[in-house]
Amino acid sequence: MADSLIQFAIHRRKLVYWTLLLLTLVLVAQLPRIRIDTDPENMLPQDNAARQFHNQTKQTFSMHDTIVVGVVNPEGIYQSHSLQALFEVTEFAAGLDGVVQADLMSLANVDNIIQEGPGTLRFEWMMKSPPGDREAAERIRVQAERLPLLFNTLVSEDGQAAALYVPIVDKNQSYAIAQQLREFIRGLDNQDDWHITGLPVAEDRFGYEMFVQMGISAPLAGLTIFILLWVFFRNIPFITAPMIVAMATVLITMGLLIGMGFTVHIMSSMIAIFLMPIAVVDSVHILSEFADRYESGKDPKQVIRQVMGHLFTPMLFTSITSTIGFLSLMLTPIPPVQVFGAFVGFGIMLAFLLTVIFVPAYLAGLSDNTLNRLTQGLPDESQSRLTPALIALGRLAGSHAKLWVMGFVALFAVSLYGISLIQINDNPVRWFKADHELRIADRVLNQHFAGTYDAYLVLQTEGQAIQPAINAISTLAAEPALSDDLRLWLNQLSQQLSKGQDLSAALLDIEDKLFSASSTEEELLSTLLSQLEAIGSEAKRFLDPAVLSYMSQLQIYLQETGLVGKSNSLADIVKTVNRELHSGQDKDFVLPDSSNGVAQTLLQYQSSHRPQDLWHFVTPDYRQSLIWLQLTSGDNQDMTAVMDKVRTYLDLHPLPEGLTLNWAGKAYLNVIWQQQMVEGMLDSLMSAFVIVMLMMMLLFRSILFGVLAMLPLTLTITLIYGLIGWLGKDYDMPIAVLSALTLGLSVDFAIHFIERFRATLSQHKDWQTTLALMFEEPARAISRNAIVIAMGFTPLLFAPLVPYITVGVFLASIMAISALVTLVMLPAVMTLLRRWLFKSLNLNEEKP
Amino acid sequence: MMKKLSLAALAAGLLAGSSLNAAEVDINAIVKQAEQAAYYAGEDGRSAARMMITDAQGRKQLRQFIILRKDQSDGGDQDMLVFFSRPADVRGTVFRVSKHKDRDDDRWLYLPGLDLVKRISAGDKRTSFVGSHFFYEDVSGRNTDQDNFTLLEETDSQYRLQAVPKQPDTVEFTRYEVSIDKQTMLPMLIRFFDAKDREYRKVEALKVETIEGYPTVTHSRIQDLQNGGETEMQFRFISYDLGLPDDIFSERSLRNPPGQWLDLKE
Repeated sequence: MADSLIQFAIHRRKLVYWTLLLLTLVLVAQLPRIRIDTDPENMLPQDNAARQFHNQTKQTFSMHDTIVVGVVNPEGIYQSHSLQALFEVTEFAAGLDGVVQADLMSLANVDNIIQEGPGTLRFEWMMKSPPGDREAAERIRVQAERLPLLFNTLVSEDGQAAALYVPIVDKNQSYAIAQQLREFIRGLDNQDDWHITGLPVAEDRFGYEMFVQMGISAPLAGLTIFILLWVFFRNIPFITAPMIVAMATVLITMGLLIGMGFTVHIMSSMIAIFLMPIAVVDSVHILSEFADRYESGKDPKQVIRQVMGHLFTPMLFTSITSTIGFLSLMLTPIPPVQVFGAFVGFGIMLAFLLTVIFVPAYLAGLSDNTLNRLTQGLPDESQSRLTPALIALGRLAGSHAKLWVMGFVALFAVSLYGISLIQINDNPVRWFKADHELRIADRVLNQHFAGTYDAYLVLQTEGQAIQPAINAISTLAAEPALSDDLRLWLNQLSQQLSKGQDLSAALLDIEDKLFSASSTEEELLSTLLSQLEAIGSEAKRFLDPAVLSYMSQLQIYLQETGLVGKSNSLADIVKTVNRELHSGQDKDFVLPDSSNGVAQTLLQYQSSHRPQDLWHFVTPDYRQSLIWLQLTSGDNQDMTAVMDKVRTYLDLHPLPEGLTLNWAGKAYLNVIWQQQMVEGMLDSLMSAFVIVMLMMMLLFRSILFGVLAMLPLTLTITLIYGLIGWLGKDYDMPIAVLSALTLGLSVDFAIHFIERFRATLSQHKDWQTTLALMFEEPARAISRNAIVIAMGFTPLLFAPLVPYITVGVFLASIMAISALVTLVMLPAVMTLLRRWLFKSLNLNEEKP
Repeated sequence: MMKKLSLAALAAGLLAGSSLNAAEVDINAIVKQAEQAAYYAGEDGRSAARMMITDAQGRKQLRQFIILRKDQSDGGDQDMLVFFSRPADVRGTVFRVSKHKDRDDDRWLYLPGLDLVKRISAGDKRTSFVGSHFFYEDVSGRNTDQDNFTLLEETDSQYRLQAVPKQPDTVEFTRYEVSIDKQTMLPMLIRFFDAKDREYRKVEALKVETIEGYPTVTHSRIQDLQNGGETEMQFRFISYDLGLPDDIFSERSLRNPPGQWLDLKE
């Protein structure tokens, strides 16, 4: 099959060129349809339970994505000019299209409750107009710091900072809105230090940086590879072939991804830079062999057929193993990782096909002139620095086999211990570099405030509030004293309720009915009315002081852990209003002792400028409520610690009966997808390992060789992850993703080494000669490939986002180490095991 | 009824008295008449109100209360008592308001659940009335002296006026338009506009009934056009000129509601 494919390629060159060009153009046409996805939430599938619950919570409690504007004045924020600026920015933000005006929060648009003389309570805006003097500003400080919902959220504890929360309708508008805010602030006559951050802004910046990465790093990788190829072959027409393969592979794969409607996420934005070096590796083999074998006057077509006959199977296998490494990512339940794995896997197989079809066609079409210049221009391998280094390495590897193996075993053990030290942790904000304006804003705001990272403890009442009401109505409907009309009406009423009609609406209907009822019926209906009212009151669990008290206790506990900057709940609102309704003194910062007391307190809270604020903490039916936790760290580790603490608390202090508790919030979602990633990655790694090992056994038709081929990469991966453990670098998203895919890439070296070793040994039948020969051309080819791949990833080091840099460093070093380990470990191990490995060969038995 | 006629006569007199062209409309008179019709019908009045507050997500809350009102003078000071009966957990809550034309209103509240009487002082009147989309000012009536009115349009049935606040920094709107029915002189539609001239709030009279000779809005609705959500208010058991004694509008009524005036089925 391979032969006829190559035959076809060589003889139908024009068809090959045109087909490739057409295919590339069609898919390049898809590129403008690119849609960027920067929402970390999409790390979880749409139907993920935690994600759905999170979004349900956002909806239930009317929460929006929010831009956070922070202002810091080290001299103190309570100065008339600072507050004046805050006031102006608030007014400006409130007037912007796309801003949820009602939920915008700033000192300049929240309410204040204070004592105005004995027995009088005053409700007013906290800052209706900017304070005229220092004294008035100081008064605002005193008042704001008395209100738990504002203190350390809208104004900082140290009095140096204030924050403005700007909720927006549509995340896609965040850039435009943030930009307008930035410009407005720039135009202010104000010397304070302003910061704009918040998830929508971060996502937006992220999308931008992704484009930068794709626009700069990927072409740079192409250039790096081009230069490397030139160093190897010194002939531009010759090395144009692999460059065309690489470009076509990248364009077709990305065009297909976009054309199929997938969004470009942080993972898929790296597809280009992954495919570029991988795509040229096979071509490098072909070019190397072709350059070696071609001599002036030979028929290039003949040479190509020979070369391809030689390389087709190993290239097929290395491509398949690499593809398996990437496809194994599809076992991880993180959609962007799956898309990345699928398309890189596809790209590698595409690159293989292009390599075996296009490259022979291209080489066959080169003029004799070009080919002659090629043979003359080739650098003399024996003069390169690589050659003597490899020969020395070969001597070392072959001579102290036992020592080497012991060393590798020791290294493996140390690395295993290092792996046990690995800290699993991530924080999407830290995907920006430390000096990025968003990181600075994040640092500054979290230093002054109780935290910009949100998590929610959502408390829900189990069961339906409506069922007892339906039962009561049905009971009355069975009453024989009723008229048929009324019975019918009651049945309709209970049907409406079971269809989701509001209980209070039913109360009104019954009340209306009372006036047209006969006196017996009126009495029965009145009883029903009181029954339903009682049921309605009973159902409002979050008016119950005992429930609110439980929430308060949990909050106190959370505060004591030191992990939570601050928590806010309905209990805080009730206590604050209750305090002011009574004396305004701290002693009255308590919960009322009855549900009615709580309800009446909240009726007062609702009589403010911002009645809707209540619904961020409790639902209008008082059957769901939440505790909002503010964390100063977005590290998953810290969030996980909070979750553990809450679990411990729940074990010791069970929830009030009939309530359930669940987590929501971005900080929580990040933990969830990280957990899934870590678990999924283990599956990916294991399955990739097993499949690649089986393939190795098949390829070499030997179990022992199959295992042998897996040894270098096993050590390499263990070593790298051990190093991460020892160094204390967090095991984060990019590092997790790389484990499985490097496996598929680094096994290539072992395949080539073992293949060539077996071929050389069967030819020379001498161990030492074979070893020596292996460190000539074969070792050079392996090293060259390692260099191409490793160097191909280095442009990522200049990328603006940390995960890209991590990937770059990680892949470059894993390729380099993997090649080195392969070249040393395989000869050493094979030397020790040669009696079992090469039973059939009659080797010259002398001690190595 | 007599009062209504005399008022019309007065208005006519004002119109005639002014040296303006007879065809020209006296805006001030329209405003005063509308205020009279909407907030000062009769010497006193009583009605049972119920509010259904619906938020942007369609979730409902109920408020039910009885209002007793007595005018000190037409278009002038007014006493008001609001007795809550629903939801059950706020039953017994009472508001007392003493509305003044020339200074801030006096307000008190009684919360039975906390056994507490408190005087309330408010920075402004544009706060929510018990969590509804009605402002306190919508219930008690915005002082017409606070706005400058101009006539936008006069049709066969309506006057459409524009009101611009004299002190724009005390309110959240920059202007509103009110459509007044020529027959009843009741404001039928009020549309509020923000700084960008977006209509963000709408008050509508959905149903008008003539009760004891007074055209009365018995069903109205306020919509929050910007954030979604609305409140509907219905009035029933309306009666005027009951002869409510002055002394029930006192602190005593907070803890001891005047039962005889609250019984709707008489």
